[in-house]
Amino acid sequence: MRLRWSRNEIKNTTIGMVFLLPNILGFLIFTAIPLFISLFMAFTDWNLEMHNMFRSGSVKMVGFGNFIKLFTDPDFSFFLGNTLFLMLGIPFGVAGSLGAALLLNHNFKTGSRRLYWIIILTVVMTASCLMMLCVGMATSALTIIVCGVAGAAIIGGAFGGQSVYRTLFYLPSFTSGVATFILWKKLYSPENGPINNVLQPLLDYITPVAAKLSPGMAAFLAGALLVIMGIGAFLAVFRRVRLWHLGECGILGLVIGMGLLITPLLCCRLWSALSWGGYWGFAIAALGVCFAVFQLWRGRSFRSVYDYGLTDAVIIDGMFMLGLFCLLGLTNVVMAMPVEANAPGGYIAPKWLADYYWAKPALMLMGFWGAIGSNNMLLYLAGLSGISQDLYEAADIDGATPFQRFWHVTWPQLSGVTFFILIMSIMSGLQGGFETARVMTNGGPAGSTTTLAYYIYNEGFATGRLGYASAVSWTLFAMVFAVTIFNWKFGNKYTND
Amino acid sequence: MFKRTMRCNRGLRLLILHMTLALIATTLALPFVWMLFTSLKRLDEVGLESWLPEVFQWHNYADVFAMKGILFGRWYWNAIYVATWVTFLQVFTSSLAAFSFARLKWRGRDTVFLLYLATMMLPGLVMMIPNYQIMINLGLVDTLSGLILPCAFSAFGTFLMRQFMLSIPQSLDEAAEIDGASKWTLFWNVILPLSRPALVTLTIFTFIGNYNSMFWPLVMMKTPARYTLPIGLMAFESSRGQQTNLLMAAVAMSVIPMILLFVFMQKQLVKGIMLGGVKG
Repeated sequence: MRLRWSRNEIKNTTIGMVFLLPNILGFLIFTAIPLFISLFMAFTDWNLEMHNMFRSGSVKMVGFGNFIKLFTDPDFSFFLGNTLFLMLGIPFGVAGSLGAALLLNHNFKTGSRRLYWIIILTVVMTASCLMMLCVGMATSALTIIVCGVAGAAIIGGAFGGQSVYRTLFYLPSFTSGVATFILWKKLYSPENGPINNVLQPLLDYITPVAAKLSPGMAAFLAGALLVIMGIGAFLAVFRRVRLWHLGECGILGLVIGMGLLITPLLCCRLWSALSWGGYWGFAIAALGVCFAVFQLWRGRSFRSVYDYGLTDAVIIDGMFMLGLFCLLGLTNVVMAMPVEANAPGGYIAPKWLADYYWAKPALMLMGFWGAIGSNNMLLYLAGLSGISQDLYEAADIDGATPFQRFWHVTWPQLSGVTFFILIMSIMSGLQGGFETARVMTNGGPAGSTTTLAYYIYNEGFATGRLGYASAVSWTLFAMVFAVTIFNWKFGNKYTND
Repeated sequence: MFKRTMRCNRGLRLLILHMTLALIATTLALPFVWMLFTSLKRLDEVGLESWLPEVFQWHNYADVFAMKGILFGRWYWNAIYVATWVTFLQVFTSSLAAFSFARLKWRGRDTVFLLYLATMMLPGLVMMIPNYQIMINLGLVDTLSGLILPCAFSAFGTFLMRQFMLSIPQSLDEAAEIDGASKWTLFWNVILPLSRPALVTLTIFTFIGNYNSMFWPLVMMKTPARYTLPIGLMAFESSRGQQTNLLMAAVAMSVIPMILLFVFMQKQLVKGIMLGGVKG
């Protein structure tokens, strides 16, 4: 490195700095300095209740005390669990936006004006038939409104093509904020919110049917579901190990894939209602692990390509994991079905945000509403338009079915975008949940929707324990940073081509 | 053969496609539809199963402004005032910095830029508490300038503008230099006008982001007269939330400007998201 600065260099750097000055001033005051203060605070017992203008106790350094307290604090792990639970909605949102992008990516130009009219006429006729049918049966303004909106959407879509649908899809995420959260809070209102107004009659209809289901039958069904789940898990583990054995997957991919697959099976154990079924899943998973270990032992050497096939492991086994989780949830539902139906009042629509167990799913559902048409959909659309048409033609010549076209052409071509979206969603998911918690639930019921972000806010601004709050936020930062490092190490390969 | 069957089914496929898309779009739009209809109901109609009001109560919208303790007009104005200032300052400082990073050559430039990039991944939460302390020391707590100042500098904006400015041909700089233009002239008369697409995108995103922003105003604002719209809506919801029809009118009024903005600006926005996202 040259240390001498030529006259020209000094001049250029001065000019460069002058242009940068306004921004860098703000950067120093509102980013750099707070950063150091915050790091310092994390190692002190700074507490607004003890150190304020009335009681000037001196702020003490406590070393790693805050961090030790944090890791032994059951609250922290509970709220971390909440955050991770809410993040389980991410893959569904990503899948939703991919689906939306795939639907929007069709060629809407028909070339003939006649087709437009055929489409519109068919739809209008279907809609009016439906309306007459429904209005004849029960005078519900809702049906009329739904049909009206759908008709308007389809007429707009037939003339405007992609952009009209895209606009409609994108609106929920574009307007997302306090206003939409308040709106959803009202939608979820347990007594007379529109969601329960529709749901309760449906549940009343189902109750007598479910009541006939005997508990033994339900247990049998649940057992069957669990067996399916166990077999699915076994096949997935088998697939992963085979891929590793064929050298199509490195050791890191193996570990991450297996970890993802085994998580739901371990979770089985935690649900007491399913303990016997949990052991089932556990046994099958253990079998898979034994098998994997055996293969590892038989495999002559550890592969040196440790990050190979990682995307596949994360995405495919991640999907398997979600499927297993869904099966597990379904098993729970089936088990509970006859019991709940025979309870007084039959099925009662959930209290959503006011219910300890339903609050998180309610927030995830709202998140899904916003996630379908979000920026991710636009990124996928851009990715789809970048795929060369030749690949599809080649697939057609080989006689590929639409599913094969998707699985062997579209999906691999989009893996870069998927990776980018997942990483970004995970990073924002870790830091997220503050606004919804503050506006809709106040972190409740009993802390079930308190995420780490809301916890930091509460500790810092409500309780005034600044030192502890800083420690939590730096721990959160460490997690985000770990994801970033993962991205740096493995993302470049997928995103930069 | 395969091609021909495809063509025959084209109309049917298109029909199914349209119906699926319309179905999804309708489902996504229903909350907004409910919001609009509820905002036009009488209070005693709100919880009813029927979505349609008996008589459209258009005066609900005017009533929101006249409510006691709900300074809706004031909050509206504050939100737009803050968002406008933040947008103006942020776009200005970002494009200056981006010009420096993209079009000027100086020592240590890339190191400084990397530093900027690194701050983009810092969670805002980490800085929030010390920033609040700084605001106390500056005496800016509970003032609108306290809302505007910390948000006026953005690493993301700088990044977005820089990416765009890099794509402008370098020969323009040389031509301008030969004509004897100063760096400022180059920036103001050549590069900035050419960066219009990125400018528009950044403007809209910053505006919407700040119009919607809640965390910082929630921390900073104490006096109801200085609330911005999101905080105001929260106050409305917690104090008069029972009046669902008026609340929905207020929500609708805060959402509709964004919807209109999006509908009119969607071309630029979609381009901008791809610009910032794919390369980011």
